[in-house]
Amino acid sequence: MSGVKLESIFKCYGNLEVVHGIDLEVQEKEFVVLVGPSGCGKSTTLRMIAGLEEITDGTISIDGREVNRVAPKDRDVAMVFQNYALYPHLKVFENIAFGLRIRKESKEHIAKTVAEVSEILGLTPYLDRKPAELSGGQRQRVAMGRAIVRHPKVFLFDEPLSNLDAKLRTQMRAEIKRLHKRLGATSVYVTHDQVEAMTLADRIVVMNDGYIEQIGTPMELFTNPANTFVASFIGSPPMNQLPGVIDVTSDGKKATVNDVTFTLPDHINVENGQAVVIGMRPEHFSISPVDGASTIPVSLNLVEPLGSEALLHTSIGEHALVVKTETHGAIDHLSNVQHLYAPANLVSVFDAESGLALTGSHN
Amino acid sequence: MSTSSDNGSVNAGPGKGGQNTPSRHHANHGKRVAVVRSKRTLKQKLQWLSDHVRNEWQLYLMLLPTIVWFMVFLYKPMYGLQIAFKDYSIFRGVAASPWVGLEHFELLFTNDQFVRAFWNTIKISALNLLFAFPAPIILALMFNEILHATYKRAAQTIVYLPHFISSVIIAGIVITAFSPSVGVVNTVLSWFGIDSIYFLTKPEWFRPIFIGTGIWQEAGFGSIVFLAAIAGVSPSLYESAVVDGASRWQMMWKITLPSILPTIIIMLIIRIGNIMEVSFELIILLYQPATYSTADVVNTFVYRQGLQSGQYDFAAAAGLFNAVVAFVMVIIANTLARRYSKTSLW
Repeated sequence: MSGVKLESIFKCYGNLEVVHGIDLEVQEKEFVVLVGPSGCGKSTTLRMIAGLEEITDGTISIDGREVNRVAPKDRDVAMVFQNYALYPHLKVFENIAFGLRIRKESKEHIAKTVAEVSEILGLTPYLDRKPAELSGGQRQRVAMGRAIVRHPKVFLFDEPLSNLDAKLRTQMRAEIKRLHKRLGATSVYVTHDQVEAMTLADRIVVMNDGYIEQIGTPMELFTNPANTFVASFIGSPPMNQLPGVIDVTSDGKKATVNDVTFTLPDHINVENGQAVVIGMRPEHFSISPVDGASTIPVSLNLVEPLGSEALLHTSIGEHALVVKTETHGAIDHLSNVQHLYAPANLVSVFDAESGLALTGSHN
Repeated sequence: MSTSSDNGSVNAGPGKGGQNTPSRHHANHGKRVAVVRSKRTLKQKLQWLSDHVRNEWQLYLMLLPTIVWFMVFLYKPMYGLQIAFKDYSIFRGVAASPWVGLEHFELLFTNDQFVRAFWNTIKISALNLLFAFPAPIILALMFNEILHATYKRAAQTIVYLPHFISSVIIAGIVITAFSPSVGVVNTVLSWFGIDSIYFLTKPEWFRPIFIGTGIWQEAGFGSIVFLAAIAGVSPSLYESAVVDGASRWQMMWKITLPSILPTIIIMLIIRIGNIMEVSFELIILLYQPATYSTADVVNTFVYRQGLQSGQYDFAAAAGLFNAVVAFVMVIIANTLARRYSKTSLW
């Protein structure tokens, strides 16, 4: 089994500790995405797996073998870099063949493998070109070709799509997913783009400030964020977060935000008077009355039509609230919105002090 | 041609960001329309130039000292080149001296000393190209492999130092080092029972000593250019190669060298262009009549004929010939570089 295991990994630059003891186990053939804001330690973690950065403390194992002191070339990993890292003086063929040439593979083997790989990636017509004569997407494909040509145990991707424009990014994302299905290789993928993380990952690791905030499948993170950070990071637009105070009454648990009362799910564990953060996804609000939903009077500031959907920028007092709603082809009726309806079972509650989720689940 | 694209070529100018003031935009507006229809007339070109200079005068001001320097020290003296075709006399002056056509050149090519100096120049330059040109590249590659930052800085400073020492002192050091009585070289040789050799009077030793001295003096400083080129190589190329399993040696051959090749070619063109310019100062300081047979080059020949013997017209002809050969060499080198490596000075 060619999994990757990280046990209490620390990384310090001088006196500055940037990764604070993270634990992570990537299963064989799994696609794990490390996601987080810049400077959260995700790239450093990836580079430690690759062997490009030393590990200050902890253990990394690949395929059950500890690799702390193993040189990158002997770890049997391949890495795709953000800026592609293609050799400008070499043609596409030689770029893809580089790793094989370094390993002194036979000419026939190189020709055969490169031909296979370029066929998979649709690069066959471009083998005679230099990287400068390729488009961004093609360069990205060459970079991936260089990685897969060696049949490594583990693929490492360091923000491989960040240099592409939005349209190409969507296209390449699908291509990476297709490639992973086809090759079934263990992959660790770093990105700061939560959409990329959601669409590609079997499991997502949300990192912040050198800590892992939460590990889970994309839908787990979306429906049950462990804390306010994950709640605000996963989902676009992010989850609305409003500070409120708990009011436990005979007819259920409620939270008050600026005199507006939210009815909360029953199963949450809160005390009367507890300071909390109410979380509500933009798409979970309704603009028409729903049974058992709290009614929230808001003032509407702006309507942003996106096509089939529209974003309503509203506010309760000084707190902004973004709502995503279906347009059904028209937005005129949206400018009259004065009340939102929040179904109790879709409200998330976080402790105001620790930021940890207080809801068990929405189900 | 659309008006908007022409706007780019007129307003922004070649390579200058179009950060124009609003008033300039306005002033240009009328002209822009006229330019669309036909090629610019001379008047329009001059108008464009004056607008351009007014707009970017700070840049031109910074350029000015260099232009003045070129004018005073390189272009104005060119007026005097005509004495190569004249029977020049200081008393008559440049303009009043009578023309003699190619007489000086005929004399030159039949002059054994000049022919010898010409071939010496070529030989010394060729040896320089062979040994002294690669030295800074090798040095830069070696510096690049030093991982310890302090040690690297110290080593670099040490090899840069000779560049900042005057050639007179450098020559003094060399003469002392190779002296038959007190020189360190002969002292070392005597340990092995070898008799003292008076190196600087031996024609066969002049070229090795001269080229070695040149390397010692300039290789370190010359490596700066290549180190800068190496610094420009994206670190991810190396990281990617490390993951692929490349050794440091392989990375040097397969990444560093190809990446700095354009810089090497540019430096080579410049070097070939200067093939007739061996470092005249150092030769004057190191040679003596005993070594003229290998050491005398065109520049030293010109110096002796012109300034020491007062044959200004003859020396000017020799100098002019030298310059023409150098000019042709630059053009050839640049054309070849452009054709085969797509890198060139112009």
